[in-house]
Order: sequence, then structure tokens, then C-alpha cells
Amino acid sequence: MDALHNTHVKLLAFDFLSLTSSASHPNAICRRGTILLSRGETLGIVTSREYKPDRFLRFTIDDGTGCIPCVLWVNQLTSPYHSRRSPPDVRLIAESARNFATLIQIGLSARVRGKITMYRGKLQLTVSDVVVERDPNAETLHWLQCIRLARKCYDIVPPSLPPMYRKADG
Amino acid sequence: MASADTPSGALVLLQELTSSSSHFKQGASLRVTGKLQEYNVETAIAVIADGGATLAIDTQHLRLNLRVGSLYQFIGELSIQPNNDGILKARVGRNVDGMDLNLYQQSLKLLRQFQSDQISHFEQFQ
Repeated sequence: MDALHNTHVKLLAFDFLSLTSSASHPNAICRRGTILLSRGETLGIVTSREYKPDRFLRFTIDDGTGCIPCVLWVNQLTSPYHSRRSPPDVRLIAESARNFATLIQIGLSARVRGKITMYRGKLQLTVSDVVVERDPNAETLHWLQCIRLARKCYDIVPPSLPPMYRKADG
Repeated sequence: MASADTPSGALVLLQELTSSSSHFKQGASLRVTGKLQEYNVETAIAVIADGGATLAIDTQHLRLNLRVGSLYQFIGELSIQPNNDGILKARVGRNVDGMDLNLYQQSLKLLRQFQSDQISHFEQFQ
């Protein structure tokens, strides 16, 4: 069940916060013990913001069903993690991260994509992409998309898996 | 502002926020939406209305330009006054002019049903 492994899966916060780490696949996250995920997308209101210049921006997205902790790294120019990449690429990534950090402000509605990670045993989104939503109906549409995708895609479990994992259709 | 344990504001319609509601509790974190009916600059108390119900909002911690007649959404904690009136102490607010309130309310019903189905399914297989 790794068809969604590199897809940005749209999840409501209550669903995101129920994910678990995979025992068999390092760096993978499980939804209901079956589907392997690595990336996620959320949309909600920014309700907290903690900025450590040249290190990271930590913030929270509240979608009404829960709060998703997010971290946006802004240390690309000093981190050894990026030292093997070409300097122009690193500069572009760093500039993009700084722009995203400026966009994130308390009270704004933001769509955030990133890697689903664990930090000190808690789930978070390590952010790779931020869009501020100006349309006040964007969040409503996001709820409906999450519901539809869960029912039509994420909740569909192959018949080969034991019945305990399968949801009654409907 | 620290981000560690920011509580989520439960999605509530103003007409649901009666004294018998499970959300009508001291300190409950809520997200409410409504049209700005009144705003007192001196006290920073706003009153929003939706579906015939109203709620007072304490906006003293917000930097928001409030206009009577516009739609706003607030997240904050409910404070129940001695006279049993609720006032939301807002920590987040935003203008949502252009929001389709009918679509919002219908979608909220679907969202609640979905959430309840998912949670009961999750509990089943645990």
C-alpha cells in the first residue's frame, strides 16, 4: 500500500494527528496501519508563529478539526545538510523558504504542503510549500476535497489485506 | 507566540451556541463566524450575528480593522459571564467577506458526519 507514498495527501487535522510511524518502513507514516504516506497537505488558519531567524519558523495550522504543528527550515545557507548541493540551488531554496516565512502570519488562511515527520514523538509537517489563500471559501472547499478523497481513494483498501483493515462501503 | 499546545477552535455556528450546547463551557476553544453588528472602539467589544443569534467578541488582542456589516471569523476561548452570557476572547480574527455562509453550514454538517464516521471506524480496528 505505497501508491500514495510520494503524493501530497490532503488530510484534515484530526486524520493527520491519528497517523502512526511505520514499523517496517523507515521514514514512512501509516494511515490506519495500512497506507504508507510521506507527504501531506493542509489548509487552515495560522494560529501560532515562533520565528528563530536563520534557523526555523514553527507555526500551527488550525483547520477546525485540530491543529497541525508545522516547521519551516530557513537555515539552508548554514546547514551542513545542504552543503553537497550546488550553491545557486541552495540560495534559491533559502530565498524561497524566507519568502514562505514572511507569508505565514497569524490569522491568515494558508495552504501548506510538506513532509510528514515525527519530532519528539509528535507528528508535524516539515514545510516545503506555502500558499496564502485569499478566497474565504477555500477552506470549505478543502474540507469537501478531504472528505471525497478519503472516501474515494484513501479509505479504499485492497481485498488482499485482512478484513480488519477494510471499511464497510458507504 | 509559542506554538506548543495551541488548542484548536471547534467549528460552531452561532445559533448552536446556546447554554445547553456542549460547546458552551468556560474556556472552550471555538471558531465562530458572523456579520459584524456592533463594535465599541473603547471596550474593543464586537457583536457578530448569524441566523438570528449573536455573540459578543472581545477583540482587544487583535490588530484588525473592523467594519460593521462585514463578515468575520474569530478563534478564541469562551468566557461565561455571571449573567450566563458568553463572550469569546478572540486570539485570532479575519475578514471573510465573500464567504458563502450557506455552503459553509452545509459543508460543516458533512464534515461532522465524516469525522464521526472516521473516528468510530478508527476505534473499531484498534
